[in-house]
Amino acid sequence: MWKRLTLKDLVLVAVLGTVLGFLYWALVQAWTALSVLMGPAGDLAQHFLLGGWLIVAPIAVAIVRKPFVGVIAEILASIVEVVFLGSAVGPLLIVAAAIQGAGSELPFALTRYRRFGWAVYALSGLCGAGFVFFYSAFRSGWYGQDLFLLRLVVQLVSGIVLGGLLAKVVVDGLAKTGVVDNFAIGRELARKG
Amino acid sequence: MTVTDSALARRNPTVKFALLFAVSVALLFVFDPFTSAALYVIALVAVIASSGIRPRALLLGHLPFVGVAVGLVLVNALSRPGVEVVRFGVLRVTEEGLEVGAALGLRTLVIGVLSLGFIVSTDGVRLMTSLHEHARLGLRVTYAVLAGYRTLEELPREWQLIRHAHAVRAGVDRRGRPRGGLGAFGRAAFALLVVSLRRAERLAIALESRGLGLSPRTTWRPVALTATDGVFAAGVIAVVGGVITASAAFGALRGAEVLAG
Amino acid sequence: MLSIEAVTVAFTRRRDPVLRDVCLDLAPGEQVLVLGSSGAGKSTLLQLVSGVIPHSVVATVDGTVTVGGVDTRDTTVVELSRTVGLLAQDPASGVCLPTVEEEVALPLENRAVDPAAISGRIDTALAAAGVGHLRERRTARLSGGEGQRVSLAAALVAEPAVLLLDEPTSMLDSAGVAAVRSAIASSVARYAPAVILVEHRLDEFAGRAGLDALPGRSIVLDAAGAVAADGPTREVLSVHGRDLIAAGCWLPLESELDAVFGGRSGAAPSHTGLSSPGVRAGLLEFAGATEIASPVLAATELAAPVLAATGLAVSRERRPRRTREPRRPRRGRDARPEPFAPVLAGVDLEVRPGEIVALLGANGAGKSTLLLTLAGLLPPAAGTVVGARPGMVFQNPEHQFVAHTVAGEIGFGLAPGPATDALVARLLDDHGLAHLAQQHPHRLSGGEKRRVSVAAMLAHGRAVLLADEPTFALDRRATIGVTSALRAAATDGTAVVFSSHDLRTVATLADRAVVIAEGGVVADGPVFDVLRDASALESASIELPALVEWLLQNAGSDAGVRRALLRLDEQVPADRPAVGQTAAVPSTVAS
Repeated sequence: MWKRLTLKDLVLVAVLGTVLGFLYWALVQAWTALSVLMGPAGDLAQHFLLGGWLIVAPIAVAIVRKPFVGVIAEILASIVEVVFLGSAVGPLLIVAAAIQGAGSELPFALTRYRRFGWAVYALSGLCGAGFVFFYSAFRSGWYGQDLFLLRLVVQLVSGIVLGGLLAKVVVDGLAKTGVVDNFAIGRELARKG
Repeated sequence: MTVTDSALARRNPTVKFALLFAVSVALLFVFDPFTSAALYVIALVAVIASSGIRPRALLLGHLPFVGVAVGLVLVNALSRPGVEVVRFGVLRVTEEGLEVGAALGLRTLVIGVLSLGFIVSTDGVRLMTSLHEHARLGLRVTYAVLAGYRTLEELPREWQLIRHAHAVRAGVDRRGRPRGGLGAFGRAAFALLVVSLRRAERLAIALESRGLGLSPRTTWRPVALTATDGVFAAGVIAVVGGVITASAAFGALRGAEVLAG
Repeated sequence: MLSIEAVTVAFTRRRDPVLRDVCLDLAPGEQVLVLGSSGAGKSTLLQLVSGVIPHSVVATVDGTVTVGGVDTRDTTVVELSRTVGLLAQDPASGVCLPTVEEEVALPLENRAVDPAAISGRIDTALAAAGVGHLRERRTARLSGGEGQRVSLAAALVAEPAVLLLDEPTSMLDSAGVAAVRSAIASSVARYAPAVILVEHRLDEFAGRAGLDALPGRSIVLDAAGAVAADGPTREVLSVHGRDLIAAGCWLPLESELDAVFGGRSGAAPSHTGLSSPGVRAGLLEFAGATEIASPVLAATELAAPVLAATGLAVSRERRPRRTREPRRPRRGRDARPEPFAPVLAGVDLEVRPGEIVALLGANGAGKSTLLLTLAGLLPPAAGTVVGARPGMVFQNPEHQFVAHTVAGEIGFGLAPGPATDALVARLLDDHGLAHLAQQHPHRLSGGEKRRVSVAAMLAHGRAVLLADEPTFALDRRATIGVTSALRAAATDGTAVVFSSHDLRTVATLADRAVVIAEGGVVADGPVFDVLRDASALESASIELPALVEWLLQNAGSDAGVRRALLRLDEQVPADRPAVGQTAAVPSTVAS
């Protein structure tokens, strides 16, 4: 069961994290305009996109199909962000990343990295968003706010859609292009014919 | 490198990173504005004195996290139940909300200014080398992160190229400009993923074929870890610990229990 | 040193093996050139020796490969790197670290070289590749050609006993090719590694020294991936020259000419290329062959321009609008914008219907930036561009792809309906893509991808087609496929503007040439006039290929030069005929 991650796996995962982080950032730029318009509720608007931040873990897990890949993918992505993009959140981002990576990976781990249907992806997004929510809530002091429940629901839905279902669309698309033929997913698909 | 020399720049990157991490975690459990305010003033002075950061860079660097801090104050002030201070129509500001908001906002400022000091005084590649040398970060992980960084450097250019390549065939709006939208973003994003993953495979093959992972290996320009780094670490821990202790002694310190109201 | 015994390699998704029963022995210090059309398995052979196959790329391998006495299956790519140095295809994108010196130091650190000795060896390796001045440069700021030479330095610095070079010159202009050739030669002279070279710009790689500059031994891989020949390079090229031309390979000029004209006078092949009377007579005969129309343009001078640039200045810098770069405070001084200076200024350019204009200039002269500005994708820094919205084909076709099938790609952006379906079907046929209609664009070969990108742009029927290095990194057959498509588009009335640094292609295709250098246009006129303008070419550091130079002096007329070049291209049969597929080459060329 335990398979060592090769350099190729790690580089793939780091590059995935970097590219998806970049795209998430580009999307947030566009979104920020909207959240400014929403005034004080803008803080809430950020939650709609949160799922986009989760997407790297399910994609990495589905391509590499080895234990801890989801957690490592999130951590490497956050290291690149903290160390090279100078995120103002500081190193705590790494903690958040590890927590949500663990959440996103859990449903795949429970299937022993064998099942990659819509439901597993959706659960992955749900758990990723759910795990990190309670950490963020503590860090940002959301407990005791009137908006607590609304925040939770928005983040979970965002997690399922952007951090789960969208990941499956991306993974299936990538598999067709052939760029992941030399990873576990490619071997699996080739075996199935 | 592009990092200018300063007292802080000469400190070991792993030590700086670990200290930043430790202070950030410690602050997670502080929920009153006074402790954070004191730490912010100290951190600001320390960063200015030790990193040689230019005032303009310091101000610009503040922008993102000041924005976050203001947001935290606003949303807590408006959405937390408690004693009403003022009311604007349906919106009401509470005392408890202001206090928690200010605490969280100031905490963001402390972490932000320390991060800024870290960023301007630390070269990312040296940090990764040092994490490998001094924190036993695996060689393959270290170089995977560096490969991620290389990719990051190419991304803006690659993204621009792809957006251009797609815009040529896109329909145009009334002003004759290519139409964008979420679909166009998605297609370009997917293309960026594909070319980046091809690149990832080439990077991995290049690293392996250059012998990454052979042992024994040497390090051409090792990062120094000296006694001064120990003194530096002890100093930072003493100051932060001192402030928190003093704050507790004066009865100002509050923990997460304030969230429950 | 190296032994490949009866090796067959198959990829899971392809029906036929890529390499078939290949045997190759290489003694220490021996150099071998691998010839074959694209898809013949040349890169696969190198991946096999480096251990990338089967360790990193999924493939089934029969037979054994031993390097330095070790079976590659029983070890790893990393362990093999003690013996094998690899310069993989597209090496610029294999640059891993943020600065040049760190990049070159890495192989030495990995081999536990004494840190005190590393700095000196970095200098030596960079100097050998002709890029000593780049030592402290950030790798993000290297051009493609510079990146390629830095990668070469990194492959050479640890002095591996076996050196694998996969198209080491693909991104380089002529000066760069010369530097790479001499870097390899000096390594060989210094410590005598075994070398396996895959190179398809053989004429440029060989340079004026001709066959003597190539490895002494060659093997030929046929289309099925089997070794068709193995022997001394001169002999292989003279015996198999015709087959290699028919397979779509680029050959050194003298081999090509000997193969085409060698047997004609009944005499034995002469191996002397342009200096041989038989070859000269043959070329003049080609030049005088009036039975094929010479499409050198004259009449369109009178038509009104479809695209006109006036006083145009171009630059990549622009006011940040939608896509800004991420903030990188860490890089302090580096991130500051440099004082604004356009790459090109004062460009006046008019393009008329049916005209084919070649855009020439050294690497970094601003060809791509000019094309992007003409396409309306970058705003002019000064001046104006007036005309219909042009289409544009980009250097890397993968940047353009948006669909999951070739047919979908070509129909993208068009209103769905029977008219579009008919147009897509016609374009698939015209460009030899009908048999690939349902394939995924990303899974095609380089030449096929390029044809898809051209067809997909032509589907929009724009009055002007801009193309950035459309024949870049293609083998000869694919190059001819693309030039034929561009010529056919021009015949239908499209104005074509393309950039290139392959002057033979330019002389075969273009009606007009524009040379950019020193921040502006230094020459603009009928293509052969420009190619005769030595000072303009020199200012853009463009070197005229020997064949074009000879034809310009001796062919008697411009039309003759064009006819001779087209006749030489006719020696390459059109793309492999698939069942039910029409010829990919339009009627102007196919006789």
